[in-house]
Amino acid sequence: MTTTPTRRAINAGLALAGARALGAIAVPGLGIASAAAQAKSVKIAMIAPLSGPWARQGQLLRMGAEMACDDINKAGGIAKLGGAKLNLVVADAGASTESAKDAAQRLIAQQPDLVGGFGSWLSSFTLAVTEVTERAQLPWLTLSYSDAITNRGFKFIFQTSPTADDQARNTLPTALDLAQKVTGKRPKTMGIIMDNTASPVSFVKPLLGGGIQKLGLKLLVNEVYTPPLSDATPLVEKVRSNRPDFLLLLTSAMPDCKLVLEKLDEFNLGKGKVPLVGNGAPFGVPELAKTIGTDLLEGLLFSVANWPMKGQEKFVADFKKRTGEPWVTQDGLCGYGHVQILKAALDSAGAADRLKVAAAIRAMDLTTGPAAACFPGPIKFDAKGRREDVPILFAQWQKGVPVTVFPSNLAVAKPFWPTV
Amino acid sequence: MPFSLTDFLQALAAGILVGSAYALMCVGLGIIFGAMRVINFAQGDFMMLGMYAAFYLTTGFGVLAFLGPYAGPIVAAFLAGPIVYGVGWITHRFIMSRVTGVGAADSEGAGAYGQILVTLGLSLILQNGGLIVFGSTPTGILTPLAHSSWEIGDILLNKGRCLSFVVSVVVAGAVYLFLSHTRVGKGLRAAADNTEAAVYMGIDVDRAHRLAWSLGVGITAVAGGLVASSQSFQPYVGFDFVIVMYAGVVLGGLGSILGAFWGGLLIGIVQQMATLVLPYQLQNTAIFVVFLLIIFLRPQGIFGRLSERT
Repeated sequence: MTTTPTRRAINAGLALAGARALGAIAVPGLGIASAAAQAKSVKIAMIAPLSGPWARQGQLLRMGAEMACDDINKAGGIAKLGGAKLNLVVADAGASTESAKDAAQRLIAQQPDLVGGFGSWLSSFTLAVTEVTERAQLPWLTLSYSDAITNRGFKFIFQTSPTADDQARNTLPTALDLAQKVTGKRPKTMGIIMDNTASPVSFVKPLLGGGIQKLGLKLLVNEVYTPPLSDATPLVEKVRSNRPDFLLLLTSAMPDCKLVLEKLDEFNLGKGKVPLVGNGAPFGVPELAKTIGTDLLEGLLFSVANWPMKGQEKFVADFKKRTGEPWVTQDGLCGYGHVQILKAALDSAGAADRLKVAAAIRAMDLTTGPAAACFPGPIKFDAKGRREDVPILFAQWQKGVPVTVFPSNLAVAKPFWPTV
Repeated sequence: MPFSLTDFLQALAAGILVGSAYALMCVGLGIIFGAMRVINFAQGDFMMLGMYAAFYLTTGFGVLAFLGPYAGPIVAAFLAGPIVYGVGWITHRFIMSRVTGVGAADSEGAGAYGQILVTLGLSLILQNGGLIVFGSTPTGILTPLAHSSWEIGDILLNKGRCLSFVVSVVVAGAVYLFLSHTRVGKGLRAAADNTEAAVYMGIDVDRAHRLAWSLGVGITAVAGGLVASSQSFQPYVGFDFVIVMYAGVVLGGLGSILGAFWGGLLIGIVQQMATLVLPYQLQNTAIFVVFLLIIFLRPQGIFGRLSERT
């Protein structure tokens, strides 16, 4: 079969050829500019979901990271590197572990001069991404909770959040103590509604492995779903049938959280009738208030790796002014903090070399300075890459805003246990 | 028995109510497949447009705020239909018409390869365009309908879902009557049955396809508007629904409007009632077990014999 070129095809071909010719001219120029920039800048990476269901969390992480880069660069850059500016390279992890891993592979291939990075918010994504960054010996910080991230013997992964296991061990005793203190009665029964993503699964593992019995609790409801939820009726029906003293809610995505909270209210179990204890930052995002309404959220208590604490008032005000966000969440705070940790490591290493940066992070013990101010507890990592001596934070929705209520030395408000 | 009668009835009610929205989505997709034989991968994304249309009419721009938080979301869901119908008309006029109808009849696979690529491309454009225009933040229509219910004994019926059920039945019924009892509807069915014969009979096949495409995406948008009252959403939400839509359409019998409706409803019922006997995680697996069973035992779908085409 023979084909005759059409006028359109010829025009397209000419356009393509022109574009290639222009590219040939432009690329060397770009290369020179890039080479000049490289001498004065140090590249760090962020891989986070910027599209797909978790895009909002990636966006918040990015806001914090960009603010930190601007603050550092305005203050003179990396002092030990002659004032080199920090250059944040951002990659979209997308909506699946495959796309997250692809993003990491592209980033490592296209940006050989990276000295460190952070991400990828969802534990499942971080597990995939760090398979790539570990092979590239790129020091990688993450706020993800899953224990599996730092259980693989990797040397270049640093987990700034308490692991899900730590959070699980601390969340329930603290919540139970609070209930007893406020109501004079310790809860005896509980329910769990959770999705089957990596973080909630890690969170409940020690609880289901005897932790609940040790706390003197009886588990009446244990429902695990695959996100996204289409309807929460069957889940909440089980709560209504069994009526536990409180409900542990572990939903990774805000839309699922909305469905469960609204269904609880519809079944006359909301607004504190069954007190709710959650885990994770999605329970405190501003859009939750916009799409559910603050009255359904009042009293919701959730443990979280990081939340605005006493002493961060200026940072919070600056962040709100810069971004227009109504409050700072874990993601913005950790985005800022991770860049500050990498900056501190670069200052300590004195070289834009990923192995030296990794060594500097391993040797880090910060209790003061911009990096330490972003996290509860010192910035110090153990051999697995987990932070040592990290207190777990609790935040609670009070008058339409989630505020840190525990531990008391970091809290900005007092906690209460809903009693109806 | 691991569940009580109340659990059973509650799950059944939830299944019917959730399934009615699926049913309407499936009707939209069923019209397009039945009339054009096009596998529209962008159907879920047109539904997403319907969700945002309803959102902006009620909450975003507040055009329907005067109707209050009860009537506003329902009227907005209705209005999402004509808005997305318009978008559908434009996309067919300038894009889909190149790979469907008379113009594509002589091309390889009667335009099927082009259709797959074009609808996948449309899906990507709508998703990423949505991300640019609407942002990544999940949003939703704030209405008391989402968390209030009518009680019948121990059974609670969500008000939002109940109204959604009524709207779905009315719209699906109206569409069925339109397609079976009007001259335009009969022309559309004739174009679906035999494109060439329809042309000889003086039917404008491209126009009929444009109507089917626009109507199909418009109806799915109404379903999206209804779902927006109870679920939050973001530009990628369509993907969560498109597989359910296809399963419903195939279950009911490809090309049958009534079949698509019952197929969607059945999916909702199976999805919700499966949780009575299976772990919640296997809720969607149950849909596909039933799907495979029906395909195995009755490949033409439940209503395939009654009507093979629209």
